[in-house]
Amino acid sequence: MNFLAALRKEWLEQWRTYRLLMLGVVLVVFGLLSPLFAKYTPEIIKLIPNGEAIAQLIPTPTVMDAVTQYIKNIGQFGVILALLLTMGVVAQEKDKGTAAMMLVKPLPRVTFLVAKFTALALMFAVTIAIAGAACYYYTWLLFGALDVPRWLALNGLMLLFVLVYVALTLFCSVVTKSQAAAGGLALCLLFILGLIGSIPGLGEYLPGQLIAWGGGLMAGKAEAFWPALWVSVGMIVVALMGASLIFERQEL
Amino acid sequence: MENISSLIPFLIPIVLLQLGLMVFALVDLIHRERTKGPKWVWAFVVIFVNLIGPIVYLVVGREE
Repeated sequence: MNFLAALRKEWLEQWRTYRLLMLGVVLVVFGLLSPLFAKYTPEIIKLIPNGEAIAQLIPTPTVMDAVTQYIKNIGQFGVILALLLTMGVVAQEKDKGTAAMMLVKPLPRVTFLVAKFTALALMFAVTIAIAGAACYYYTWLLFGALDVPRWLALNGLMLLFVLVYVALTLFCSVVTKSQAAAGGLALCLLFILGLIGSIPGLGEYLPGQLIAWGGGLMAGKAEAFWPALWVSVGMIVVALMGASLIFERQEL
Repeated sequence: MENISSLIPFLIPIVLLQLGLMVFALVDLIHRERTKGPKWVWAFVVIFVNLIGPIVYLVVGREE
């Protein structure tokens, strides 16, 4: 069994278990809601008692408000969903014994893991693309057209950001024995990464900067943060390599 | 509320989402041998409860 066959199996499984569909629906709904929320927040506030006065303090919503909402929503939920959808992929198969079944066939364990990661990456790429298109459409209706190349760049950066967490959670899923433990460990890593990111001067070399970079692009800034991109790619590669090395030595 | 026709562009993605989910849930319902509760009830829920219906079916209605 080669890489493509393993990838095909993973992809079909994501399709059959409706993980792909659910992720798509959640992200698309956020894509649609973000510009709507940005546009109508002042109106909503007017509805609460004494809201009129507060609403006057809020500046008229702009395109950037819609973009900021989108980045915030997809960034947050992307990471949470990355954790939820990835934490079981290896741990659960080890638990149920299906991993052993798969690997009885001459399938190198590295291939097994890389196929899993690729399937997850494809799933997030497809769903973020649809969510991005949905948000673009509503933003265009409510505010006006966004710059397409920059919009694509922003979504690409967000995808990479989410994939860092997919890779880290996959690593956790290999190291631990159960789905819950993998999720907990991944959550710890997430917090540690957040803590390191809050140290002044260090944050701009971490994946979180990708989101800021994308937001800056949409605001018309040309500043690029290539180190953050390379660190992110590096983290994905290291997480996958580490996971493979540990997985090779595990008894199934 | 303004003119209804100005709302139509906003409804297109939602209608697409609804139709997509409905088709998906119906195909699943037809192919599945057993569901929790009678099939025809689920068919009603999927077709007539907008957006939430198909999701509810996919989450709780299926039985392996």
